[in-house]
Amino acid sequence: MFRNIFMATAALCFTGGAFMTRTPRADDIAERANKLHFSSIVVDTHDDTTQRFLDGDFDLLPRNGGGSIDIPRMKEGGLGAIFFSIWIPSKITGPEAVKHALDQIDAVREQVRKHPKEITLATTAGEIREARKNGKIAALMGVEGGHMIASDLGMLRSYATLGVRYMTLTHSGNDEWADSSTDKAVHNGLSDLGRDVVREMNRLGVMVDISHVSDKTFYDALEVSKAPLIASHSSCRAICDAPRNMTDQMIKDFAAKGGVIQINYHVGFLSQEFRDAEKADPEINKAISLEVQKRCGDKEGCQLIEGDKITREYVEKGKLPHVDWTKIIEHIDHAVKVGGVDHVGLGSDFDGANMPYGMEDASKLPKITEALLHKGYSEGDVRKILGENTLRVMAEVERVSREMNAVR
Amino acid sequence: MRRILAMLCVVACAMTGALLVRASGVDEIAERARKLHFSSIVLDTHDDTTQRFLFSKTFELGKRNPDGHVDIPRMREGGMNAIFFSIWVDGRIMGPPAVQKALDQIDAVHENVKKYSNDMAFCRTAAEVREAHKNGKIAALIGVEGGHMIGNDIRMVRVFGDLGVRYMTLSHFYNDEWADSSTDKPVHNGLTDYGKEIVREMNRQGMMVDISHVSDKTFYDALELSKAPLIASHSSCRALCNHPRDMSDDMIKALAAKGGVIQINYERSFIDQAYKDASDKYAGGVVTPKYEEEIRTKCGEDLECAGREAQKIINALIAEGKLPHVSWERIIDHIDHVAKLAGPDHVGLGSDFDGADMPDGLEDCSKLPKITEALLRKGYSEDDVRKILGGNTLRVMEQVERVSRDLQAQR
Repeated sequence: MFRNIFMATAALCFTGGAFMTRTPRADDIAERANKLHFSSIVVDTHDDTTQRFLDGDFDLLPRNGGGSIDIPRMKEGGLGAIFFSIWIPSKITGPEAVKHALDQIDAVREQVRKHPKEITLATTAGEIREARKNGKIAALMGVEGGHMIASDLGMLRSYATLGVRYMTLTHSGNDEWADSSTDKAVHNGLSDLGRDVVREMNRLGVMVDISHVSDKTFYDALEVSKAPLIASHSSCRAICDAPRNMTDQMIKDFAAKGGVIQINYHVGFLSQEFRDAEKADPEINKAISLEVQKRCGDKEGCQLIEGDKITREYVEKGKLPHVDWTKIIEHIDHAVKVGGVDHVGLGSDFDGANMPYGMEDASKLPKITEALLHKGYSEGDVRKILGENTLRVMAEVERVSREMNAVR
Repeated sequence: MRRILAMLCVVACAMTGALLVRASGVDEIAERARKLHFSSIVLDTHDDTTQRFLFSKTFELGKRNPDGHVDIPRMREGGMNAIFFSIWVDGRIMGPPAVQKALDQIDAVHENVKKYSNDMAFCRTAAEVREAHKNGKIAALIGVEGGHMIGNDIRMVRVFGDLGVRYMTLSHFYNDEWADSSTDKPVHNGLTDYGKEIVREMNRQGMMVDISHVSDKTFYDALELSKAPLIASHSSCRALCNHPRDMSDDMIKALAAKGGVIQINYERSFIDQAYKDASDKYAGGVVTPKYEEEIRTKCGEDLECAGREAQKIINALIAEGKLPHVSWERIIDHIDHVAKLAGPDHVGLGSDFDGADMPDGLEDCSKLPKITEALLRKGYSEDDVRKILGGNTLRVMEQVERVSRDLQAQR
C-alpha cells in the first residue's frame, strides 16, 4: 500500500517535470539515447559466435556478411563487453565434452591474442571497466552446460583458471547432476554433486547461470548459492510460455537475492504467436533442420547462422509469424515491473538463435536504449539494464569468492 | 694446445687448493657447502609427486611423510626450493581421456600450491622463481611428461601453457601420434610434420621443449627446429650407463652447443650399468617390468599402490642379491661427466623423485646438500655449483621466454 502511494507520487512528479520543460521531441530523445548508449558499458552475456571460430573461415576483425557479431558491428552498436559462449550439445559428455570445451576456450583466447588492439580478455568487472577505459571490447567466456565439466570439479577449476566466468548448469538435456527445463526430470533439481558444483562456483567466482535449467534446479541453486545468480539468456514466461523462460515468481525470487535476468532475443522465446506457429506445424522445424544439415554438414557455427537465415525464409513465405525487435523491449519492461530495474540485462543469444526483425545484429543495439528512453526510463536505469546490473552481479560474485577463500 | 695448457694449470691449481683445504680441515668444505647450498636456488626439473596428490590416501605435501621422496618439510631440509611437478598419464592412454587426466593433475598442483601458500608460490617464469626464493617460498612449476597428453591437438599446447605448464616432454615410454620415443619401435622417423608444428608452437608459447624420453632421431629433429634451447628434464649419460633413456656424448654436446641443459636423473637403472643389466635380467627393466601385470591385477588404477608394490618386489630382489646396491655418488659421476664433456653451463638436476628408484644415500630430497658438498670436494667453483643446482635451468627458462616474446611480436 505504502509502495503504491509512493509510486503514484513519483508518477505525478514525473509528469509535472515533463510539462515544466517541454514535451520531448523524438529526435531530442534520439540524440540523448545516442549519447547515453555510447557512454554506457553495454554487456551482452550470451553470444554463440565461438562456434564460428572453429569452423575455420571466420575472423572477428572484418565485417562479415552473415551472423550478428564481429568487431566492426560491435563497435557500431556500442557493445562493450561480450560473453563468448562455450557450447557443445548435451549428448556429448565425459572427456570428449571436456576436450571440445577446451578447443572453444582456446579459440576465444586465440581471437583475443590475434586482435589485441581491438579486444582484450576480461575476467572481472574491474577488468571490463579497464578495457572500456582503454577503448577495447572486453571478451569474456561462459560455459553453456554443466555436462562440459564431466562431473569433475577439477575441470570447473581449470575452466575458471582459463578465464571462464559463468557456467550454465545445464543445456537442453539433463547433465549428470542437474535437470534441464527441456528434458524429463531425473535428479529432482540439483543432485548432491550439483550442490557441490554450485558451492565450488561460488568459491571460484564463477557466476551460476540458471538459463536452461528446470524450475526445481533453479530453486535449488537459488537456495545453495551464496552469490546472486544470473539467467544469462532467458526471457519472460508471462509473455511467451516457453520452459526456457522464467515465470514471474522465479524472477521475483531471484531478484530478491540480487540476481539478473538477461533477456534473450530469440523469436521463439519472445513471441507466443511464433511459438504457437512452430508448435502447430512441427514439419516446419524438421524441414529447417534438414536444410541446415544440407548447407552446413556438421559445422556448428554454420548451422547456427544458416538456421536463422532459413527461418527468415519461412517468415517471408508467411509460414511463420513476423516478430519485431520491440518484443525485446516488452520483455525488458515486464521483467523490470516484476523484479525491479536492478535485475534486468541483455543476453542476446546472437549467432545462436533466430533474431527478430530490426535486431539482426549487434549494430542495432542502440535502438534498445532509445526505446527505453521513449518508454520513460531514466538514464541511470537504462545504464543498469545495458550492463551495470551484470557488472554489479560480477562484483558481488567476486566479493563472495574472496570471502570464501579467506575463511578456507 | 692452449686449451691443454690451461687444463693442466687448472688441475695443478685444484691440487694446490685441495692441499690447502686439507690443511685447514675437511669441515671447512662442509661448512662452505652448507652455506652455498642454502643460499642457492636449487631447482629440480622432474618430480612425480603429483601422482600422490591424486592417488594417495595418506600423503600430505605439508607434513613429513614416512614414505616417498618429496614433501615441504623435507624440501626445506634439503634446500630444494624450486620444483617442477610432473603431469604424467600412461602413454597408452590417448585422446580426450589423456587430456582430462592431465588437467586433473594440473588442477591438483594448483590446489596444493594454494593450500600451502605460506610455503609455496606458483611460478611461470625464471623471474617468478627468483622472486619466490627472495620471499622464502618454494617455487612450484609444472611440466607435462609426454606429448600424448595433448590429444594430438596443438590447441592443447596453448591450453596447457595458459594453465601454467612450462615444459612438455615430447613423448613418454611409447611413441605418441607425432614423435618417436626412445623405448618404442620408431614409426615416425623422429618428429612428424605435425610434431614440428608443435615444437614451433611451444617456442611461441614459451614452453620448454623437453627431450627426455624421446628417440635419438626425435631429439635431433627437435634440436634442429627449436628456436630456443632444449632441456632433458630427467636423463643421465649413456657413456656411463648405456640406457636408451640416457643421452649419448654426441647428443649432450649438440644440446649444449645450442644452449641446452641435461638435468641428471637419479634412477638407479639410468646411472649404474651393473644395476641396469641386472634389472633387465631379473626385473625386465624400467620400461617393461616383468611384474607389471601382477601389479595391475593387485592395484588396478591406484598408482600409489602400484608404486608401493613395485618397491616391494625390487627390495626383495636386492635382498636376494639379484640387484646390486647403487651409491648416490653415481649422480656426481654423471654430473661430472657432462661438465667435462660440455661444460658446467649445461648440466642440472632432474631427480625423478617419487617416480623412480633412488640410489643409496639419496633416499629423498632432504639429502640434496650432499651433492653440493661432493661437487665442492671435486674442486668445482661455487659459481659452477650454483649453476648446476639451478642457475643453468633458470638461464634456459629466460632464453625460452625471450624467444617466445620475439615470436609473439612477429605475429
